[in-house]
Amino acid sequence: MKNLFLIGLCIATASASSMLAQDFSAGSTAKSWNLYPEKKAFFKAKVVDPLCTLTGSCPDNCSSGKRQLALLRLSDNVMVLPLKNSQAAFTGAANELQPFCGKDVEVDGLLIEDPELFARNLYQLQKIRIIGDTKWTKANRWTKDWRAANPDAKGKGAWFRRDPRVKAAIAKDGYTGLGLETDEAFIKEWFE
Amino acid sequence: MFKTSILSCATAALAAFAGPLFASENGERITITGEAIDTWCYYSGVMGGPDAVVGAAHHTCALWCSAGGIPVGLLADDGTVYMVLKIEDDDHSNGGDTQMTIASHVITADGMLYKRDGINYLVVSKIIADLGITNLNHEDYGPVPSFAIPAPKP
Repeated sequence: MKNLFLIGLCIATASASSMLAQDFSAGSTAKSWNLYPEKKAFFKAKVVDPLCTLTGSCPDNCSSGKRQLALLRLSDNVMVLPLKNSQAAFTGAANELQPFCGKDVEVDGLLIEDPELFARNLYQLQKIRIIGDTKWTKANRWTKDWRAANPDAKGKGAWFRRDPRVKAAIAKDGYTGLGLETDEAFIKEWFE
Repeated sequence: MFKTSILSCATAALAAFAGPLFASENGERITITGEAIDTWCYYSGVMGGPDAVVGAAHHTCALWCSAGGIPVGLLADDGTVYMVLKIEDDDHSNGGDTQMTIASHVITADGMLYKRDGINYLVVSKIIADLGITNLNHEDYGPVPSFAIPAPKP
């Protein structure tokens, strides 16, 4: 009977510890974005191509920028998916991770975990460096990459106002995506 | 008895950790219907609650985020989000054209689901139906964020 109790206790303890989110805030110098689900997180990881990891479809060099990339945390083998880089303007993290494809790195940023939305192991990347390096690379190269890929999209304003694909989509279906006629009527009513 | 307890405890711990350590990468075939959303705004709460950062209200921002390389997810009616890694032959999930074309649309997709560390990853083998934008929440929320639609010039 006593043995059964001990076994039960062990199972409960082990299960609970595997389900609880770990704290990776030690050593983090990440900046808060004042987000409800954010937790500062500094950890070591390998930069991986999740489509390769999950399906075995593995092009060279993590697809050279086409695919989303992930962080396989070295301490517990958890695959963390970065959604965002450190820039404010609607930009992801894959471009920031691409130069580090297949490498063991240290990252600092914000874990996004919200039980109400079933959000686990999501991340906002603020800086990254190869393990052993002292110099960090800020995760803010996206707009520079965009400018290089869109040399004709010149002018004033943020990239998302000048992006040719975004402009074409809005010109076709409007800001709401519901068609130009519906869009025009909504804009007239909303701003009057 | 002590040895037995230690052995039992070790077995229990191994069983508990076996999932994440030896997670099977075998997918399961599913058909799923959901809205193609911008996952950063949805999960971070940066622009408000989850009802405001979907649908027609958030369409322009969904285009920006998709073009910007933020992962696109399919949000099902039960609240499950499926991170889209590939659509048919197009694995350009970092800002690719195919993902942009379905921004805010409700689609039905056949594909393979891979569950890993609390995240659902979806490899779409075929889009069976594209219902377009069905959530007309712009009537309630207006544009989200408010600057998504420039004010008309007087």
